[in-house]
Amino acid sequence: MLLCVFCGLDSSHHSEHRENNAMLALLFILFAGMAVGCAISVVAQRNPLYSAMSLIGVFISLACLYVTLAAPFIAAVQVIVYAGAIMVLVVFVIMLLNVEEEERQPLRLRSLAPIAIGLAAVLFGETAFIIFFVQTSPATPAGGVSDVGLTSSIGGGLFTTYLLPFEITSILLLMAVVGAMTLARRGGLLPAGAGVVPGDQVFSKELLDRKDIGDLRAVETHSTDEAAHLLGVEGEREEGE
Amino acid sequence: MADLTYVALKLVGILFAFFVVMTMFAYTTLTERRVLGFIQGRLGPNRVGPQGLLQPVADLVKLMTKEDIVPQKSTRFVYFLAPFIVTTTALMSIIVYPFGPEVHLPIIGTFPMVIARFDVALLYVLGVTSVGVYGIALAGWSSNNKYSLMGGLRSSAQMISYELALGLGLVGVILQSGTLDLYSIVEQQSGHLGITGWNAIWVQPLGFLIYLIAAIAETNRVPFDLPEAETELVAGFHTEYSAMKFGLFFVAEYLNMFTVSMLATTLFLGGWNGPFVHQVPWLGVFYFLGKVIFFLFLYIWLRGTLPRFRFDQLMDFGWKFLVPLAIINIVFTATLQWAGVFDYVSKFLKTGTGWGG
Repeated sequence: MLLCVFCGLDSSHHSEHRENNAMLALLFILFAGMAVGCAISVVAQRNPLYSAMSLIGVFISLACLYVTLAAPFIAAVQVIVYAGAIMVLVVFVIMLLNVEEEERQPLRLRSLAPIAIGLAAVLFGETAFIIFFVQTSPATPAGGVSDVGLTSSIGGGLFTTYLLPFEITSILLLMAVVGAMTLARRGGLLPAGAGVVPGDQVFSKELLDRKDIGDLRAVETHSTDEAAHLLGVEGEREEGE
Repeated sequence: MADLTYVALKLVGILFAFFVVMTMFAYTTLTERRVLGFIQGRLGPNRVGPQGLLQPVADLVKLMTKEDIVPQKSTRFVYFLAPFIVTTTALMSIIVYPFGPEVHLPIIGTFPMVIARFDVALLYVLGVTSVGVYGIALAGWSSNNKYSLMGGLRSSAQMISYELALGLGLVGVILQSGTLDLYSIVEQQSGHLGITGWNAIWVQPLGFLIYLIAAIAETNRVPFDLPEAETELVAGFHTEYSAMKFGLFFVAEYLNMFTVSMLATTLFLGGWNGPFVHQVPWLGVFYFLGKVIFFLFLYIWLRGTLPRFRFDQLMDFGWKFLVPLAIINIVFTATLQWAGVFDYVSKFLKTGTGWGG
């Protein structure tokens, strides 16, 4: 699958291939089939990690499709941002939480079926609309290779014509970062003077004084405050060695 | 017919590059062990063949013939897939590097020594590298071993963090050369004797340093080799891998070293530029490989001399030092570019008439 990306990118700089409609059609069928197959696999898999891997497959197939559409920059960004950054985080979280395979619960979401059918109808309507307009729209001007997908034209567009939307998007992303940090710190700060040393374990004095130390149990807590409360070290935090 | 020649030429190029890179891999492992031996006051492998020159062959035979043990509770499919993802992605980026200038061959004609040249070559390298993270993360997860899992998690966290510094370190070069096409970036770095135009020396020393440090972290090498810290994690993400599947991780580690070394050479050390390249184009290939070998030696040297970081130190260094430094470098470069300083300097370096006006 990854080698296909390479094939796609390699042919992208070679303009003679672009004329070859049969080859383009073949590549389109290959990558579109891969994208659809992986997309079905995303929802069909029971193991969340397999779903995530299928989603990576969808993104890579889409990147290949962008290459065949003469948009190498979008293709590269698709791989870097979606397959390379966002999905790594998703896989990371799945691995960290060690999410188990989901049990089959067929009845829970049954009530949502009408909404799903409605949304699917809207999607098909949109597709039909687009196909109709593509067929009635004037053909693309013949001759002269389009430079729409090139890095320089995208950069030029972003910093001149579309500067305001571009800046607004960056502010939106900044807000998302600040929001994420605020949420992460919501659990409350540690008591004054306390610092967390990575790898260090925090024990209360009572626990350490007990003779039956083998009886230690892991208790799940959701915030530092809660942990401090359970350990009885609210206010003054002690560290056992 | 022209198309067939084109395809045949590309295939030969790919096979040739593959052969060169694999030979380099084999002898880098030997050189590494011999140089480490020298640094640590011992001999290193010198029994198989003269000066141990056949040691890589012996290693290969050993890896191929060893028993391949698969943990019973591993996730089979992912466990088999992971080493292939790692090796494939490591090999894929090699196609975009310009190994030399345009050379002339009888019959075939004039052609540039690069397998694939396209508009977004640099982004392609970054994209392929970022997909390589999955191999390591999935290897750690599918082994069903706590050391492997910890190694895989550490590795993905480390690679995500340092990819940022790595990419930001490259932005300076992109700003200044105005293109993502590696071949053009190399061509822009020609100067007096093919040396004075190098980006690392005149215009991007800080970017070069940031890239170099981030690249070492990105390839999981000493002093950033936490994903496979022996004292804590046995062997990290590849603890449960044996025989040739372990061999593939080993290959991938060295291929990634080559990739980042080639990128450093291309972007900062002028690629194939060097004295007399314009008279004898074939010299360019040797300059390019020579510079790559210099970086590989640097890797081995670092491995022999530096201790390992602690994980929190690693994260602090990446996020609180390298990233801000890279952003300062970008702002600085952009300001100089805007003021036209680079145009003036490069004009002087290339023609020698800049001072006059």
